[in-house]
Amino acid sequence: MVAVRETVKTVGEVEKYKYGFTTDIESDKAPLGLTEETVRFISAKKNEPDWLLEWRLSAFRRWLTMDEPKWAKVSYPPIDFQDAYYYAAPKQSAKLNSLDEVDPKLLETYKKLGIPLTEQKMLAGVAVDAVFDSVSVVTTFKEKLREVGVIFCPMSEAVRDHPELVKKYLGSVVPTSDNFYATLNSAVFSEGSFVYIPEGVRCPMELSTYFRINEKQTGQFERTLIIAEKGSYVSYLEGCTAPQRDENQLHAAVVELVALDDAEIKYSTVQNWYPGDEDGKGGIYNFVTKRGDCRGVNSKISWTQVETGSAITWKYPSCILRGDNSRGEFYSIAISNGRQQVDSGTKMIHLGRNTSSRIISKGISAGRSSNTYRGLVSVHRKAENVRNFTQCDSLLIGDRCSAHTVPYIETKNPTAVLEHEATTSKISDDQLFYCMQRGIGEEEAVALIVNGFCRDVLQQLPMEFAVEAQKLVGISLEGSVG
Amino acid sequence: MLEIENLHVKVDGKEILKGIDLHIRAGEFHAIMGPNGSGKSTLSYALAGREGYEITEGAVRFRGQDLTAMNVDERAAAGLFLAFQYPIEIPGVTTMTFLKTALNAQRKARGEDELDAVRFLKLVREKAKPLNVSDDMLRRALNVGFSGGEKKRAEVLQMALLEPALAVLDETDSGLDIDALKTVAAGVNALRSPERAMLVITHYQRLLDYIVPDMVHVLSGGRIVKTGGKDLAHELEKTGYAAYGADAA
Amino acid sequence: MPPTAPMRHEEEMNDRAAQIFIDTYERERSTLPGADTWLARQREAARASFAEAGLPHRRLEEWKYTDLRQALEKAGVAASPVHGGAVVLPDTAVASAFASIDRHVLVFVNGRHRADMSRAVRLPKGVVLHPLVEVLPEQWAKDLIERRLDAARQSEDIVDLNTALMQDGVALRIRKGVRLDKPLHLVFLSADDGASHTRNLIRLDEGAEATIFESHVGTAAAFADIVTDISLGAAAGLSHVKLQDEAPGAIHMATLRAHLSERSRLSNFTFTLGCGVSRTQNFIRFEGEGAQAHVNGAYALKSQQHADHFCVIDHAVPGCTSHTLFKGVLDGASEGVFQGKVIVRPGAQKTDGRQMTHALLLSRDAAMNAKPELEIYADDVQCAHGSTVGELSRDAIFYLRARGIPETRARQLLVSAFLDEALDLVPHEEAREALKILAVDWFSGGRGAI
Repeated sequence: MVAVRETVKTVGEVEKYKYGFTTDIESDKAPLGLTEETVRFISAKKNEPDWLLEWRLSAFRRWLTMDEPKWAKVSYPPIDFQDAYYYAAPKQSAKLNSLDEVDPKLLETYKKLGIPLTEQKMLAGVAVDAVFDSVSVVTTFKEKLREVGVIFCPMSEAVRDHPELVKKYLGSVVPTSDNFYATLNSAVFSEGSFVYIPEGVRCPMELSTYFRINEKQTGQFERTLIIAEKGSYVSYLEGCTAPQRDENQLHAAVVELVALDDAEIKYSTVQNWYPGDEDGKGGIYNFVTKRGDCRGVNSKISWTQVETGSAITWKYPSCILRGDNSRGEFYSIAISNGRQQVDSGTKMIHLGRNTSSRIISKGISAGRSSNTYRGLVSVHRKAENVRNFTQCDSLLIGDRCSAHTVPYIETKNPTAVLEHEATTSKISDDQLFYCMQRGIGEEEAVALIVNGFCRDVLQQLPMEFAVEAQKLVGISLEGSVG
Repeated sequence: MLEIENLHVKVDGKEILKGIDLHIRAGEFHAIMGPNGSGKSTLSYALAGREGYEITEGAVRFRGQDLTAMNVDERAAAGLFLAFQYPIEIPGVTTMTFLKTALNAQRKARGEDELDAVRFLKLVREKAKPLNVSDDMLRRALNVGFSGGEKKRAEVLQMALLEPALAVLDETDSGLDIDALKTVAAGVNALRSPERAMLVITHYQRLLDYIVPDMVHVLSGGRIVKTGGKDLAHELEKTGYAAYGADAA
Repeated sequence: MPPTAPMRHEEEMNDRAAQIFIDTYERERSTLPGADTWLARQREAARASFAEAGLPHRRLEEWKYTDLRQALEKAGVAASPVHGGAVVLPDTAVASAFASIDRHVLVFVNGRHRADMSRAVRLPKGVVLHPLVEVLPEQWAKDLIERRLDAARQSEDIVDLNTALMQDGVALRIRKGVRLDKPLHLVFLSADDGASHTRNLIRLDEGAEATIFESHVGTAAAFADIVTDISLGAAAGLSHVKLQDEAPGAIHMATLRAHLSERSRLSNFTFTLGCGVSRTQNFIRFEGEGAQAHVNGAYALKSQQHADHFCVIDHAVPGCTSHTLFKGVLDGASEGVFQGKVIVRPGAQKTDGRQMTHALLLSRDAAMNAKPELEIYADDVQCAHGSTVGELSRDAIFYLRARGIPETRARQLLVSAFLDEALDLVPHEEAREALKILAVDWFSGGRGAI
């Protein structure tokens, strides 16, 4: 974690505290390592109430007794958990004066993705001249949300302004004991979003849009909590197609979704974390716990993800189908190239009656990467009339990568109808030849065919991201052909 | 337009074409007929540049350029079109998307400007109408679930859109009933022009009643054993291929 | 799925049952077959490995649905006695399923060969058939016993127990180009409670052909530990059908390991009517191009039976084909498990590997767990798997009844139709018909050992 130490020094020189807290503590970063003191430091920095500090501490104490899980098909050098900083003040102002100072390769990628100029500046850390533009857009959004009573703010703000909501729902979907990385997150989380949609409200905009204009904090241990009250709807998108670097190598986020009666949450992720150099060094480890609880009757949660980055991806966005008639969906495109390793999938736990789930997973491996789908569909004894359909397809590009499918299908109720299909193949020579004979160059042909392969998932993304995601798919496979 | 000289082609280590000579000028319509195994498809794949078809001897010049020096998509941009006997399915890619990508890729390669969505849609609809290619077919994934006739009509639509200088039609009539055959033939005939040449490869004479050739060549045992006018096709119908030493090496 | 609760490393792994086997070994090692040969060293090494690993338990990924350690502890195992006296096969449909087929028969009681009950005469020249003990000095036997396929280590480890304690079994070698004239039927009968350890060695040289039936029957609360090691030479063909139907208190642990040379063919069919706890593992490895393996099965379970089928196909070379189809019907409070793994190694191009598992749950308390896995390192392949679980179609039942067929008969027809898709894959016609009759029989309640 040498990179961590160097960069944090730079961060340490920077700016005032974004959220305007005043504290007694002078330094802007916690000391190296992770001890109970670190947890207290973080909690104090955020001026948290005692109940939350206790919550963190109990998670931390539990974490000390746990072993790192080793069952996924990923391998990496051991992580020294004591050799990292667990808190650093967020970056504030930009460091560059114009796009000319930005790495041209990075700009080239932004252009290929079709990212507008203003956003390119924000992503690259260039000062945005038309500040009032972005501010006014942000202000308009904030107004609209306030009008309908939607709460959308950073987690620390939510703890301060809506403690009763946070207390009620935090840890109710992913308990602190859930797994090693979720427990770690519970102890040291510091960024993340809180979303609350009141009864009957259909959130007036994709919360993705809001996010993109606003400055994106890439927190190491983000904690996100989304609550959709009775009859409400929200579509939330995190991440972005632009390649993102971060000084922190390990990202262990936790996302909890709660959908009450007749509510629907659509959660989309487009992630392109830095995958590391050609030897796979220095890339980001993305170990995420995401779970949705369809608590209410007729509730629905759908996860859509396009993962093309990270050195190692380890995530299983899941749904607990508790409420009768509830529905869980999982749509995923996971692309791995170079030496990336992906072990991803979903869990659909059917507890209520007449629940259904749909899983469409498209894995594409290229280079020397390894891509595993790991999924669980489980039907409880009392879960009547469950319906599940799962389709996992893997595409191999080149003969030095690998694709694995590990589905677990468990049922204790005879009325459940569970169907699972998986195929693994490569882009056929016939298809390539056909496209090329029509004048489409080889790389473009591969991108075209792969996009066709992923179509069912791309269709699930919010409109503006679908187009970018398609381009991202093409870019992620560059260099994999020939 | 197309000059093939002493072409020898090997597939899987076996020599299939054993010295083909063929000259096709712009505006001409040639037909190649021959029994199964004579090398008809090998010729069309070799012209298109398919991997696995090794040219061991001979030369091919297309519009003055050495065709063998170009890769598959370069040959297409240079004006070569191969209508497949078994058009390939590409799941998830709509016919419309495929057509646009192909046309614009070729235009780009030739230094022409690409068509925007509106102009393209207009153009496609224009070309699709006489071929009975519906909007629905255009929205479906390319060739997925298409009947034999639909696949062939889609091939002809591509040809109409891409406007090649040389179109090679590989057994375009296989699997078609008489009505589908007429529609396809009408579409192909509509594309005849003094600037364009066509090479129709077929087993049966039937197609040639509708797409009347200027010259007919008989391919047998990897060589062209006879060349004649359109009447040669009728003769073949009567005598069969054996008369032309079909089993001779 | 990996445990969602954290593991406590201070958790004690209590393995009394393993200790009993180790004690048995210490006591009997000098009298076990091959005690004065190379086998003694091999047994000792196996014992040491077994002692270290212990019996498999549910915290091992490959055993997560079947805790053999717990099952053996509950059952309490001791070595079964040699049964020298008169023994009669149970009077059940299963025990006599192949009776009308003209075949050679070898009978093993409590895992030990009974020449008086067997009948294998006038074998063709080039067919070498002996009890295990007689071939132990031979190289081919040594090679098979010492071999490790290593595609599913956690599961193959159980073979160590068998190597350490194996008492008897069949050794069949068929020389180049020779065809076994009639099916060879191996009957394994558990007449007494207790553990038996059987090792079968089957080697077909280039171009050899054979059909083997294997029946496991008995009313005793026994622990049957069977390992069958198969080696197929170039272009050899083996058709193997395993039928199992044992007592509610019985535990059945069967491992089949086969390696296939180029152009060889293996057709393997497992028909499981169950017992208390059974686990059948089939490990196939392709070692030469152009080989084919059809590893299929059908199972029908009732009451508290638990049956686990684990098939691993290792495409270690290019150009091979493997098709697996398993269909199971679960009634009562039974539990079915299907685990499968198709591995395609780097460079194993032009592989055709498919696995399908289908289960039908007939009752409220039945349960099914399926985990078909694909592990693929080569790209020019066609690999697929599928899994379905469901119940009898109400529409279909209604349709049959509307045509005058009473409900029970309608359900039986549908269950048979369901299982037939798998049973139709048994190449030997008479064996196939016999198994279909057993399936009908199972449904009507006329089961074997119960």
